[in-house]
Amino acid sequence: MRQRDTRAFPSNRVTVNRTDEESPDLVARCQKGDVEAFAELYARHSARIFSLAARMAGSPETGEDLLQEIFLQAYRKIGGFKGGSAIGTWLYRMALNHCLDFVRSRQAKMDKATATIDDDERPAALAARRDSPGERIDLERAMQQLPAGCREVFVLHDVEGYEHKEIAAMLGIAEGTSKSQVFKARMKLRALLT
Amino acid sequence: MITSHPDGVTLNDYVDDGLTAAARADVRDHLASCAECQTVVDGLRGVQSAASRLPLLQPRREAWPRIERSLRASVPARRPVPWAAWLAVAASLLVAVALGFQIASRRAQPASSTADADTDATAQSIEAELRQAEEHYQKAISGLEQIKNDGKGSLDPQTAATLEKNLSVVDQAISESRAALKVQPTSEPAQASLLESFKAKISLLQDTVALINEMRQGPALTQKGS
Repeated sequence: MRQRDTRAFPSNRVTVNRTDEESPDLVARCQKGDVEAFAELYARHSARIFSLAARMAGSPETGEDLLQEIFLQAYRKIGGFKGGSAIGTWLYRMALNHCLDFVRSRQAKMDKATATIDDDERPAALAARRDSPGERIDLERAMQQLPAGCREVFVLHDVEGYEHKEIAAMLGIAEGTSKSQVFKARMKLRALLT
Repeated sequence: MITSHPDGVTLNDYVDDGLTAAARADVRDHLASCAECQTVVDGLRGVQSAASRLPLLQPRREAWPRIERSLRASVPARRPVPWAAWLAVAASLLVAVALGFQIASRRAQPASSTADADTDATAQSIEAELRQAEEHYQKAISGLEQIKNDGKGSLDPQTAATLEKNLSVVDQAISESRAALKVQPTSEPAQASLLESFKAKISLLQDTVALINEMRQGPALTQKGS
């Protein structure tokens, strides 16, 4: 993963943060099945997890479903948390794996969405292409309009900060495919946002 | 020197600083004289920059109550009691019970007509074996207490208080037996009482651990049964 200090919230690159310094007691309570402690864990980390899930899924509603599944999974598995990393890092990894499972399962059900993107990558053609004027939308909503497959790679690379090599390994695709998907996503988003 | 337009992925790599120095220099030269490609690069940079500054999203307020309900209906998988802990308890118990049995057998043997010296030796031997048995019982008790303390949170406070009270009664019996043996080390009733008290304590601790396990699995069993 690369380090980018300009990131408003350097999600996956943070291994220990201030909230985790207060965590040992919280973790112990969570491990005893204390739901109130989980509420605290949720308050601290839900935004980070939800952001990842909603963006990967391309829908806030699905993001909330994933958020629920992730916290339920954490509740069931926290007994095995050995404290080798910060609890936030452990939770994020679990969330990322859950989101990747979701993506893989969805990909298995539908055709690769890359087919829906214009494959003409000549810069002149791309520069000339514009969507309807007056359709300026924010980046968040524009990302939801990206085809699945393209969106996940873009989120992992440009939002979460993973390298192409890492994304390729996570999604089982070639590194070149990851690069190509990010390029397509950026161009599509640029068109949507202009 | 690039004479034609670089492809999109190359421009994208240029934005991501993913090109070799030579390739990067070629693209830079091309951009200096190609407004179309420069526009593409600017657009790619704009999106990249905006994506890197996206704020965190907050789930709706209704999300937590829904999650909370699902947590309460679920069973947390807690850290299982390590096998090593159980084995240590079992090993200590085995030795303690064997020693206790040995002591009881020796005492059950009919008094012989051998000399007083032999009787003294036997008494000393029983005392030593008792001490050994006590050590092993104590070891088993410590192991069980550790397991009990780790899982104490699973019991409701009232049950936990009752169990603690019972344990303190047994502890009192152990203390009294020890005090009696201090005064009269060969006292058979005191020896028997100490061994019985240890057994009672272990039995109580085993019940406590079983209860803790039951409480942990309770909701799952209830769900399966419903």
